[in-house]
Amino acid sequence: MAAEVNRRDFLNTLGVSVGAALTSAGAALPVVGVAHAQDKPKGNIPDTPFKIGHMTFFTGPAAVLGEPMFKGQQLAAEEINAAGGLLGKRKIELLKADENAGTDANVKELRRLKLSEKIDFFCGITSSGNTPALGPVAEELKLLTIFVDGCTDFLFDKAVPNPHYIFRITNMQSADGVTGAVAAAMTWPKTKKIAHIHPDYSYGRNAFDHFGIVMKKMLPSAENVSEGWPKLGTTDFSSHITKAISSKPDLLAISVWGGDYVAFYKQALRYGMFDKMKVASMIAFGVAPHAIGKDHPEGIIAGVHSNYHFTYPGGDRWPYNKTFVEKYHKRFNEYPNFQAEGGYTATYMLKNAIEKANRLAGGWPDDDAIISMLEGNMMAAPAGYVYIRPDNHQGYKDAVTGFSKNVADYPFPILDPERIITIPIRNITAPPGWPKGEPTSTYTWIDKTWPRAKA
Amino acid sequence: MDFFFIHLLNALLSAATLFLIAGGLSLIYGVMRIVNLAHGNLYAFGAYVTAWTLGRALAGAPTPLLYLALPAGAVGAALLGAVLEPTLLRPFYKRAEEYQLLVTFGLLMILGDVMHFVWGPYPLSASALWENSGSVSIAGNPYPNYNLVVIAIGGIAAAFLWFFVYKTRFGVVLRATSQNMRMASALGVDVNRMYVQAFTLGCFMAGLGGAIIVPSQSAVLDMGVDALVLSFIVVVIGGLGSLEGALVGALIVGVVREAGIAWFPEIELAVLYLMAAAVLLVRPAGLFGRAT
Repeated sequence: MAAEVNRRDFLNTLGVSVGAALTSAGAALPVVGVAHAQDKPKGNIPDTPFKIGHMTFFTGPAAVLGEPMFKGQQLAAEEINAAGGLLGKRKIELLKADENAGTDANVKELRRLKLSEKIDFFCGITSSGNTPALGPVAEELKLLTIFVDGCTDFLFDKAVPNPHYIFRITNMQSADGVTGAVAAAMTWPKTKKIAHIHPDYSYGRNAFDHFGIVMKKMLPSAENVSEGWPKLGTTDFSSHITKAISSKPDLLAISVWGGDYVAFYKQALRYGMFDKMKVASMIAFGVAPHAIGKDHPEGIIAGVHSNYHFTYPGGDRWPYNKTFVEKYHKRFNEYPNFQAEGGYTATYMLKNAIEKANRLAGGWPDDDAIISMLEGNMMAAPAGYVYIRPDNHQGYKDAVTGFSKNVADYPFPILDPERIITIPIRNITAPPGWPKGEPTSTYTWIDKTWPRAKA
Repeated sequence: MDFFFIHLLNALLSAATLFLIAGGLSLIYGVMRIVNLAHGNLYAFGAYVTAWTLGRALAGAPTPLLYLALPAGAVGAALLGAVLEPTLLRPFYKRAEEYQLLVTFGLLMILGDVMHFVWGPYPLSASALWENSGSVSIAGNPYPNYNLVVIAIGGIAAAFLWFFVYKTRFGVVLRATSQNMRMASALGVDVNRMYVQAFTLGCFMAGLGGAIIVPSQSAVLDMGVDALVLSFIVVVIGGLGSLEGALVGALIVGVVREAGIAWFPEIELAVLYLMAAAVLLVRPAGLFGRAT
């Protein structure tokens, strides 16, 4: 198990590719968007509205994630409604709820949405603190649910190990730390000393753990020389920057996000941090790509939550992305982030499952029919293929990251289109049936099955 | 040791902003006996106004003009304070303290939503001053010049306030009202006017605190709540109602926070609360507080 391999072979076994590798879409694969000629639904479809409860952050600092998530779903709902609604009859009606109310209040609101508002479907959720609390309640209420994010591995590892009604669309959290570390190890194999700055809550801890376990395998001679744990919402990083610089690392691993990250990089620039070390971020360009300035240094690993950046797949190569970005930009006058893509894709994933179930049985399908169509469903989404694994109801798509670069087309830096890094998700997440592990199944799977690179 | 001075400057940097916020909070409490929970979002309001002024209205303007416009947030917060005190707070002075807490807490929430509504969820940055100011080398390590400006502004504000409160006629009346409002009123002080002036000055300080951090940190939602919590630690240590206490408290919190991050990352957050708890046990009114 712990056989030694050289690093190049290691990367080959991970299937890491740099550049723009894409396969073409299969003919019968479901795609996002509303086709011009739709199949006529079978049987009688009621024309009552289809109520979706969408809970996400509309206030507080995490609104940078929540608002695009809602807008993604809103865009999909508007497209579907313009074509007549679900199965041509049922118009989607969106009910908003603010996730910022706190976990206990969110659980109450979820019950209220189901019992008083009689929602047909629940969607949204940004925070990893909320999915493990809401997941079991949605199961208990028998409420069909697709979480867009709240991507903690804990949800399907521990909180709801055998989900029936709940699904999740964006990649699992562990993929962030793993992707960042694989990208850093392949790009800067001479790294010996690593400094860390992560927000002090479950996401930052998860990124730290998974970055560490991959480094233990790929760069076994590298060691951690500094750790900084700023509180989420910190915008003064002077002390953390000084601490990291004074430990003289080769590489900084950082999972600070949103407004915190914008403040971080601007301060780090003036402290000369980027001149003194390489930087690998899990999520720098994932949250609000347009909030990053042209002064952002080029050539750092600018993670996108291992999920999606609106410039990839680029050009005309993947029309589902091109169309989505154009429509989203036209509708909201901003570019979509991974949450917007998740909200959009979740809505079409649902629509597709409803149509498939209708084709089999006719009429409006019951939830169990929709669930069995969602299980194992695959779809060509803006980010690429998304696959819902039947055993754990988790969405999987190939992980992506890249290097920051300024180009003339955008007033903010994007991922260098020449050097995108994609990793097949199968190679960096625990397979079906792998025993639940601590801190995550993916962590123990990497620890036990990945070889160690020669130092 | 080559980073000693940088650590020291970092500590002074956070102390400078904290003093402005906590000083305003303390001043308002000292004069009006109101714990203004909305104070955090007046600080955030100052940040948003400056971020909007420098980043949108004056985008591309030359550096000296940007420096001149930097206090826009302080002026904005002061104006807001001058409107809020007579309209929202004054009707509650005769009621029990719980009402004031409820009103100022409600105001904290409302201001947060107003800023979200006006400026949206994304961080609003105006970093031209920060970017154009460059860095100075301290023992071979770059240190941002703009941070030195912030430290200087904090120091000047402290000196100015001291002068204002202890050397001017306005200061005498302010202190008299603070010590005995009824007596001051009986002697002919227009208490309503004094209250609105003190509240406006307190808001000006909070807004200035928000304004000066914008070039390096951006304005973000919820910055006000975090700042409010930290400034409560400062006034608990220093003593609520005392400007000297706010200054010493801010310096202590700045130094301990810096040392905590550098050497005790595990208890970085806890150490401030532990210190506040220790002060409460030994001197419940704070280091400079008057027991009433």
